[in-house]
Amino acid sequence: MKKLLDLRFVIGIFFLTIGILLIGYHNIATIEQNRNESVNIYTGITFSIFGLIMLVLSLFRTPKED
Amino acid sequence: MKLAPIDYLIVGIYFLFVITIGYVLKKKIKTGNDFLMSNRSIPLWITSLAFISANLGAQEVLGMAANGAKYGLYTVHFYWLGAALAMIFLGIFMMPFYYGSKARSVPEYLALRFDEKTRSFNAISFAVMTVFSSGVSLYALAMLLNIILGWDFDTSIFLAAGIVLAYTFLGGLTSAVYNEVLQFFLIVLGIAPLVIIGMDKAGGIEGILQNVDNDKLHIWKGMASASTNPMGVDAFSLVFGLGFVLAFGYWCTDFLVVQRAMISKNLNDAQRTPIIASVPKILMPAIVILPGIILLALQSQFKGYELPVNSEGQSDYNMALPVLLSNLYPNGVLGVGVTALIASFMSGMAGNVTAFNTVFTFDIYQAYIKQNGSDKHYLYVGKASTIAGILISIGTAYIARSFNSIMDLLQLVFSFVNAPLFATFFLGMFWKRTTSAGAFSGLLSGTVAAALTHGLTVAEGKGGWISNQHIFYSGTSQAFNIASVSFIVCFVVTALVSLVTKPKPEASLIGLVYSLTPKQKDAAKIWYKNPLVLGIIILLVTFILNIIFY
Repeated sequence: MKKLLDLRFVIGIFFLTIGILLIGYHNIATIEQNRNESVNIYTGITFSIFGLIMLVLSLFRTPKED
Repeated sequence: MKLAPIDYLIVGIYFLFVITIGYVLKKKIKTGNDFLMSNRSIPLWITSLAFISANLGAQEVLGMAANGAKYGLYTVHFYWLGAALAMIFLGIFMMPFYYGSKARSVPEYLALRFDEKTRSFNAISFAVMTVFSSGVSLYALAMLLNIILGWDFDTSIFLAAGIVLAYTFLGGLTSAVYNEVLQFFLIVLGIAPLVIIGMDKAGGIEGILQNVDNDKLHIWKGMASASTNPMGVDAFSLVFGLGFVLAFGYWCTDFLVVQRAMISKNLNDAQRTPIIASVPKILMPAIVILPGIILLALQSQFKGYELPVNSEGQSDYNMALPVLLSNLYPNGVLGVGVTALIASFMSGMAGNVTAFNTVFTFDIYQAYIKQNGSDKHYLYVGKASTIAGILISIGTAYIARSFNSIMDLLQLVFSFVNAPLFATFFLGMFWKRTTSAGAFSGLLSGTVAAALTHGLTVAEGKGGWISNQHIFYSGTSQAFNIASVSFIVCFVVTALVSLVTKPKPEASLIGLVYSLTPKQKDAAKIWYKNPLVLGIIILLVTFILNIIFY
């Protein structure tokens, strides 16, 4: 619960969740693949990386105020 | 534009997160100060991003893409001229007075520097303006969701308002600020793929240069005269009206944004908040303006990118971003894009509501209704005013739906009130001779001057309700000139009245006026902790950008 007060952790979880969803959706959505087939996968990967960076940052140092 | 279950899932996850943030932070809220001022304990990186995100509302995201399509690159003046300098000025020169005076709000600073009369004028006009702005934002969101997604108007209003109410009521200002940071990243990362895909489809920079009118690909060319550039503005109106009066008036005196810096942990952080925020601000045109220009390039190469026509029979530029979203985003990332749009509306609305509840509680309720209540009492008042602010916003949204012209009129009146405000602050902070009578009469006369200028001039069929004495090339030019006139009138009247009225004793102005306040001796030696050094670096970068895109 205390970790949820760290905004970096919350942002990290949010973007990682959305990123994984987009990557997963890319693999099952054949119709979309025919159109902009790489948009979901690249956005998903970017979101996942950003989410992981925020999660790692939240592990390094936890300011009291967060 | 048709959403798939994956898109709804993404929107739902976002809603879940914003409410969870409010719920988790609820346990930290014990007093009125916690709820309304975050107990001045928010870290620098959060205040900086919240500072810019509070301004990253619907007008910014949809409006600047619209301006990008309408005016082209000239729109960047709202950032490189109309924001960067003012934000740096706020950090270096004005924040020491706001933060150092221990004022809890901008109107409270006016009470300390001048008198209760000036405070109440500012507090009441600001409180009314914020809830009406919040309502207009809500109305715009519901209309947008109704038009592009076919969502029911009432459902959209109550869903968006209910979620903003939930997280601001539970976690107060801290919750609003935390959500603003999440919304900032969501808006930037949610729209960035649109820019990349759009650029690629348009043929890259070459494609833009070949397919967009060259007149729209400069920022200073043709500015010698209002008739030779797409904005219809001349250089003087732009520099003085936008770059000085409007920009400084908004960024340096509007409590909605200033509040984000005032909740920093210490003065140095409060000073650096707007300065650090100016870095993403000067980069923001790549996210909010470039889509409008990309749309122009796509329109000349492909079908399906035409803008819908509004009720006046003209292209509805506000639909620039939705047109790109529906054409370029497949389901999945479309949900991200729609969520980013919803986030921008909610960010703007929450910013208005949290500024409203602070000003109402401290500057209206505590100042004039109950002065010596307990901290717990003001916590309840803060929470009650949050609910009231949301309810008034909902009411305003429905009024806007029925009487759009009344809302336009109200917003116009508010702009008259806001226009002269910076002159009052500027003189109050930097001229110790400025008196309370001078400030109040200056504010009133500046407001009247703004109204008269609007009544005597016409632009794009608006104004001229007294008589038509001058026609401006564009509404933008008219707005810049109204602001300039009202600033000059307020400045002159304040100075003249101050010279013939008795000033406050100097001892009572220490910490409130520049010349009477001891200069800070502990200026940070590390460059990135020194507001002045940081400000100069950012100004240099901004200057170089202006030259590159001349």
